[in-house]
Amino acid sequence: MTTTLWDTNGGDIVKALLVERRAAGALASGLALSLVVVVDEKHVAEAETAATVAAAAHPCRLLIVVRRSLERDNRIDAEVQVGGRLGPTEAVVMRMHGRVALHAESVVLPLLAPDAPVVTWWYAAPPDVIATDALGVLANRRITDSAQASDPIAALQRRAEDFAPGDTDLAWSRTTPWRSLLASAMDPVDSAASTATVGCETGNPSGALLCGWLTSKLGVETTVEDTKGPGITEAGITVNNGYRVRITRPDGRLATLSLGEDPERKLPLPRRELGDLLAEELRRMDPDYVYAEALSAATGVGGLDQRPATRTHVWRDPAWAESG
Amino acid sequence: MSRPETNPLRDPRDRRLPRVPDPCALVVFGVTGDLARKKLIPAVYDLGNRGLLPPGFVLLGFARRDWGVGEFESLAREAASQHSRTEFREDVWRRIADSLSFLPGSFDDPEGFDALAAKLVELEETHGIKGNAAFYLSIPPAAFPTVLEQMARTEMSDNSVRGGWRRVVVEKPFGHDQQSARELNELVDRVFTPNDVFRIDHYLGKETVQNLLALRFANTLFEPIWNSHFVDSVQITMAEDVGIDGRAAFYDSAGAARDVLQNHLLQLLALTAMEEPVSFDAEAIRTEKIKVLNAISLPRDLEHDAIRGQYDQGWLAGQRVPAYLDEKDVPKGSTTETYVAVRLGIETRRWAGVPFYLRTGKRLPRRVTEIAVVFKKAPHLPFDATDTVELGQNQLVVRVQPDEGVTLRFGSKVPGSAMEVRDVSMDFLYGASFTESSPEAYERLILDVLLGDQTLFPRNEEVDASWRVIDPLEEFWATHPPEKYRAGEWGPRGADEMLTRDGRVWRRP
Repeated sequence: MTTTLWDTNGGDIVKALLVERRAAGALASGLALSLVVVVDEKHVAEAETAATVAAAAHPCRLLIVVRRSLERDNRIDAEVQVGGRLGPTEAVVMRMHGRVALHAESVVLPLLAPDAPVVTWWYAAPPDVIATDALGVLANRRITDSAQASDPIAALQRRAEDFAPGDTDLAWSRTTPWRSLLASAMDPVDSAASTATVGCETGNPSGALLCGWLTSKLGVETTVEDTKGPGITEAGITVNNGYRVRITRPDGRLATLSLGEDPERKLPLPRRELGDLLAEELRRMDPDYVYAEALSAATGVGGLDQRPATRTHVWRDPAWAESG
Repeated sequence: MSRPETNPLRDPRDRRLPRVPDPCALVVFGVTGDLARKKLIPAVYDLGNRGLLPPGFVLLGFARRDWGVGEFESLAREAASQHSRTEFREDVWRRIADSLSFLPGSFDDPEGFDALAAKLVELEETHGIKGNAAFYLSIPPAAFPTVLEQMARTEMSDNSVRGGWRRVVVEKPFGHDQQSARELNELVDRVFTPNDVFRIDHYLGKETVQNLLALRFANTLFEPIWNSHFVDSVQITMAEDVGIDGRAAFYDSAGAARDVLQNHLLQLLALTAMEEPVSFDAEAIRTEKIKVLNAISLPRDLEHDAIRGQYDQGWLAGQRVPAYLDEKDVPKGSTTETYVAVRLGIETRRWAGVPFYLRTGKRLPRRVTEIAVVFKKAPHLPFDATDTVELGQNQLVVRVQPDEGVTLRFGSKVPGSAMEVRDVSMDFLYGASFTESSPEAYERLILDVLLGDQTLFPRNEEVDASWRVIDPLEEFWATHPPEKYRAGEWGPRGADEMLTRDGRVWRRP
């Protein structure tokens, strides 16, 4: 079920995967995509758990790349699993030391499932410019998580400047339950909105994106109010005829919905697990233009949907940065 | 109805936002029954857990029990925690518990219906259901007319009275022959409007059945060969390993043909054989299904091509099982069939001359439902005759349950120095990796009812057309007792002989 390879190379990993697949029989047939996860050592377990949840919904070949210290000698350790603890999926966890980590794509490329879409997910602070990471260049879909950055709002700004169709951010997936509630609350409403508000924890990128989405869709000024959190705590829309939609969620679990004069209603609106967010991202492989519009409105960077969908790899050696 | 075109927050490109129904009540008649406990209540919980229930929602139970909402809640809670597909979470349950309601009453008691009508008005106030209600009739067919008449009398079936929509969900059997089905259809379409009647055939809610349409109409690979030039025959099987499960009263008056062939198998046949619909909306798909159902022809020789069977005692999965006639409450000398195999034709240009073999039975070796399209042999094989002895016919098998998926069987060379061709299977496992996220049939169908989407529900003309096929068979069988087969084998001898005469064999599913 598991083969561990110490100090190995790309060719041997490909062979080990083939052997594991044969041993497992039909277990992992019907691959829908390859998921490349770029992660720090300390987050490997979390990323594995999330990817396992997501893989249950979307059978994939999971390629986890851990880049370790560049200073050491070149070395790759790999663990190949088919149908093991990572669920009904094929997984290769690769730890790369030394400068080979800068060329991780040379190991990953032959491991990608043939002709299936590739998704790259950075479960770490995302690169400033995705084109500098070849693992992002070869992907059809790229998933970042601005919330992981030390300054999430600045990270969101970077994402807008660096945007190409096919990029998404987990901060955006976190808004889906809110957007779903707001959209169904607005279904029976006939007249146009006049104002909208979002309340969230200071510097919460999901709050900023929800605000951007309301601005782009309703065409009205949306204000963000800082609250204690956690995450997004409230959202409201006021319509021209005075009708109000308001959702509050002060504890991160239970929301209160009030629609016009109707009695208030409680409903669960829990903050979702990482695996559920990832599964939502893997559901569709086409560019998310609604996200592009929301991101554009949230950051003031225009023309996102006009950008070319493919990137060209830009070589940037970390050694230059240190010397220069 | 929701109006996505006027709601600025709805964007057709935004595929992340699910369709959520309007605020509404789901009224279940016979809520203490098996179906409600094992399927309906868990499905409602799963919908709630996935965030697909509207903010204003009520599950209203109606049954002949002297209960308050407390007893109903404990029943519902047990049903949801035992049978739900998704994880049982306390906070989700609390929200659903808040929207539970119960009314005691029997189906022939006018006061109960007056109370129900009043309750629905009251719920508009307390739960904001806006006058929308779907009535799920999980009741014996004999009670249908009484219940429908009561609904008509209290005007709770009338869309215009409360300004919302009123829909009704009916379970099979839809009548017991063409005449009774027409009367029932006429009644339910008069009490509600035809567009508000949802006839549940839970097979159509299964992912693989919907996948059959995707397979056929989203690919270029299969459609060119999906006709009598390439297809030799089609076998549709629905086998059950269980017996009649204590439902003797119902089953003995119906039998396998009315219970399964009339609805599930003919629907699967229609989806397999229909032409491409002009669009993927409810009306277009149903139009194509009707055309196929109307084109079905019965075999000329009913004696040999329409076989009934009844299981005798035998061994199944290592256990001794009694004969049908020895099951509890089955009348002595009953000639009800527990197995049917029939050869049907479809008189269209696409299918002329291709036999469709349909079979269903109880106490067969295993539970399986599948559609097998068997292709013709290659007209010429450039190999030596001995090279291809083990080569069968190419097959495309859609496995509906269990182990949902698609198998393609074709010939391949056996490795080695000799040229030897043998059948191999290429498998697409829908189940192994997708089941965790694929909704239960009832979950999908209840959501469609609340959304008002008729795509997966047969229309009354389809029911009528199906009975047109069944009635002559029943008439013939009335004077021909069923053949016996041993429990635990694949049906009676006559069914095997039926295929042997045509130079074919049943697939072992």
